Amino acid sequence: MVTGSSTSEEKRLLYWLGERLIDYRLPVTLAVALATAFFAYCAFQLQLVTSFGELLPQTHPYIKIHNRFAHTFGGANNIMIMVEVKDGTIFTPEVLNKIWRMTEAIDTVYGVNHNQIESIAHRTVRYLKVAAGGTMRATPVMLGEVKTQEQAEEIRRIVHNAENIYGLLVSLDDKAALIRANFIEGRLDYRRIFEEVNQRVVEPFRDANTDIYVAGEPRLYGWVYHYAGDVLLVFVLAYCIEWLLRWLYFHDWRGALRPTITGVIAAFWGLGFIYLIGFALDPLLLVMPFLITARAVSHSVQMHDRYYEEFARHGWNKRKAIVAAFAELFVPTFSGITTDALGVLVILLVPVVMLQKLAITAAFWIFAITISELLLNPIVYYYLKAPEPEIVLVREGGVFRRAVTAAVAAILGPRGRFVVVGAWLLATLVGAYFVRGLIIGDPTSASPLLWPDSAYNVSHRRIQDKFGGVEPLIIVAEGLDRDAMKDPATLRRMERFQRTLERDPSVGYSFSLADIIRAVNSVFHELEPKWGVIPNNWVDIGGLFFIYFSGSPPSETAKYVDPSYTTAHVTFFCKDHKGENIRRIIRRCKQFIHEGQLEDLGIDVEERDGRTVVASLSPHVRWERAGPSWMVSTAEHAGEGPFRPGDRIVRVGRTPVGNLQSFEAAMSVETANATLIEFGLERDGTTTDATVVAPWKAVFKLAGGLIGVLAAANEELFRNDVLMNVLGFGTMYVIVLFTYRSFAAPLFLLAPLLLANLLVNGYMAARNIGINIHTLPLVTVGVGFGIDYGLYIVSRTIEEIRQRGDAEAAVRAALVTSGKAVSFTALSMTFVTALWSLSSIRFNAEMGSLLALWMAISYIGAVTLLPVLLVWVRPRFLLREAARAESGS
Amino acid sequence: MRWSLTTAIVIVLAYSVALILVDEFIAKPWRRRRWQQRAARGDAEARALLERARKREPALEE
Repeated sequence: MVTGSSTSEEKRLLYWLGERLIDYRLPVTLAVALATAFFAYCAFQLQLVTSFGELLPQTHPYIKIHNRFAHTFGGANNIMIMVEVKDGTIFTPEVLNKIWRMTEAIDTVYGVNHNQIESIAHRTVRYLKVAAGGTMRATPVMLGEVKTQEQAEEIRRIVHNAENIYGLLVSLDDKAALIRANFIEGRLDYRRIFEEVNQRVVEPFRDANTDIYVAGEPRLYGWVYHYAGDVLLVFVLAYCIEWLLRWLYFHDWRGALRPTITGVIAAFWGLGFIYLIGFALDPLLLVMPFLITARAVSHSVQMHDRYYEEFARHGWNKRKAIVAAFAELFVPTFSGITTDALGVLVILLVPVVMLQKLAITAAFWIFAITISELLLNPIVYYYLKAPEPEIVLVREGGVFRRAVTAAVAAILGPRGRFVVVGAWLLATLVGAYFVRGLIIGDPTSASPLLWPDSAYNVSHRRIQDKFGGVEPLIIVAEGLDRDAMKDPATLRRMERFQRTLERDPSVGYSFSLADIIRAVNSVFHELEPKWGVIPNNWVDIGGLFFIYFSGSPPSETAKYVDPSYTTAHVTFFCKDHKGENIRRIIRRCKQFIHEGQLEDLGIDVEERDGRTVVASLSPHVRWERAGPSWMVSTAEHAGEGPFRPGDRIVRVGRTPVGNLQSFEAAMSVETANATLIEFGLERDGTTTDATVVAPWKAVFKLAGGLIGVLAAANEELFRNDVLMNVLGFGTMYVIVLFTYRSFAAPLFLLAPLLLANLLVNGYMAARNIGINIHTLPLVTVGVGFGIDYGLYIVSRTIEEIRQRGDAEAAVRAALVTSGKAVSFTALSMTFVTALWSLSSIRFNAEMGSLLALWMAISYIGAVTLLPVLLVWVRPRFLLREAARAESGS
Repeated sequence: MRWSLTTAIVIVLAYSVALILVDEFIAKPWRRRRWQQRAARGDAEARALLERARKREPALEE
């Protein structure tokens, strides 16, 4: 790599390259034009698409469970439609018929899972009817449209007596009903679903007495697509303002045009590549292309500014100016592009397909700037008419130049240096204070993608208020054998699971097979409340299930339990999806599952010296030998089992065990599908193995539903966040190290970036912006922002010190030349990026503001802290250049 | 207001062309005239600037 401290031989090579590019301009232009035309064609084929599956970390165990059971037990893509009446109740023929027709209408919406619609008017929502002669059968609550008030009153009576309906699908005050529909992941077309729900389900049924609220992930993305057109408004405004600013800065339309050429060519290459690898643009990631284009424009402004300077220096000789600008800026431009591109690639670490595709495409797009900015640049200048010399000279004495010169004098003055360092110390303390509140996941209960007063968030809030919780967390109870769900102990454990988790303030209510069996048992015993319990034996339970499910096809019953009664689920409807609440709920789930297993094994464990030790044994669990294994038994002869108080558990299955946390993790992994569990026990200094027959019929597995998939995404982000930051900064360190052949140089460049990073993270925490799957790529790209600014300033400082020999004079000269272009780029880009705050999509608006802030802070760091550090510390990588210059002269 | 991609492209192209025309036919002649008038009035800075601008190397338009 040619470096910033490049030798004259390497410089000569760059000058030679610049000359050859001009000599061979026709073939180079033709090749680039053909490639650009191809990529442009591909770019225009691109569409805005969000693939839900690609947003999920597919290797995470929760997602594997989610994928296995989403088609039966329900996925994360539910739409909730609440019909609420202002006067009276829903139990009138008019309102019930409206619910009936709306339910029919939702069944016709594209992509709906017809067996996973829940509404009092849908065939799958049933109650137990006792017929003449004592026979019972499960009948749909509504069999058709209601004609009389008496029929409506009968439906009210049914609803009030059905635990699986009252409070879940009809509000406790009888004023609202909920229609819940699940959509098949592979057929999610957010735009179409949004339009069809509006046209068929909402608009025809809304009137003066009826409010209709719609929430759920497909609806949320529908709104995002609805607002995505805003991007064009932001684009047009940004383009026009940028052009005007560049024209004012360069005093020439060519100065406005040249960066546009770079940006457009890079954009065609980037967008075309996105299409070629089969990716589509997510409307929530549209800030990203904008950001990359901003960087392309930023490099181009530097080059154009340098071209003017060289034009004056070389006595208005265009060719010499072109080649000199190319050769002198090649190093910082190429280093900046490489740093940005490789920095983005660290996102590959997160095992989320969308982020990985984004990392590859963004890296390619950034590398494409090399073509448009470096390869094509001398040729474009060659064909463009040179600026009038008067313009170049007038600019040198312009207002902006004078302002920059005055600011540089203030910053590098004796008092200014102390002010700069003091201000940065203070800012660091403020950033460190706020950054503690940075959250992984969503920090608010409403969707952070849209504004709090948006139609979606109003609906979401209203439904949550009325029904307590609508965001599902599905825990799968997977049996080890068929009919496991008829086991009384398993059903009681499910019921206990519900009661335990319902104590969490973020869980509204829950539902499981245990609710059905208790309700059916109660009806079977003439609605005697004391019979609303789970029977004690398999036969009774099997009989009750038969009564309830016998009239329903398997496709309908599959949402409760699979046809072989092996697997069912416990679903918790949560009130929000705040990151901290999801973490707490998942932790409580894991704790309940683990404690349940220990209870079945009859052991209590504690941690001693970082090891897991059996603390006590339950007198209720007795064991007997079954061949080489142990099994829990109620037989007379049953007695002590494999465990003794004081035993150290050193292994479960193949997983070694240390502290309690590792024991819990080992149990979770090793008991997932095993009927035989091996324990490594250390007793009196010797280790023995004990094989135990799993004393449970089913294992609870995390986790599906919206909360489950968000938990998985949050866990992956948390796991990789620190690593990504370390690798991101590490990449920058290595590139700067090679650029300047100095171990210290990267430290000077990275110090302002680290502080900018800290401040921006502190801002995110203060503004309640969490790290999630959408903010992460933008935040990762933002990390490398200031490095370009720093590279241009340090490279110019090295150039200047070779001529001047004095570090301070060199830094001053660098700041009033390269620093001027950096200042213009940073200020104008900050302004146009802030235009995103006009977006109706809150996420884009906040990301735009955040990135504008990032650019501003990185810029301030690059033009204040970096030069002050260089002047104060006078690093060896600078001084050696001065020495080299002296020896040369 | 909802814009299509075509509308956006037409707007930015028209804007760019308008700005180029304004620069070439209004802004630059006005600037040049202003400096020449200043030089004619005896402004040393303006004279020096115009003189320096005229000192070109022969190979300006290669």
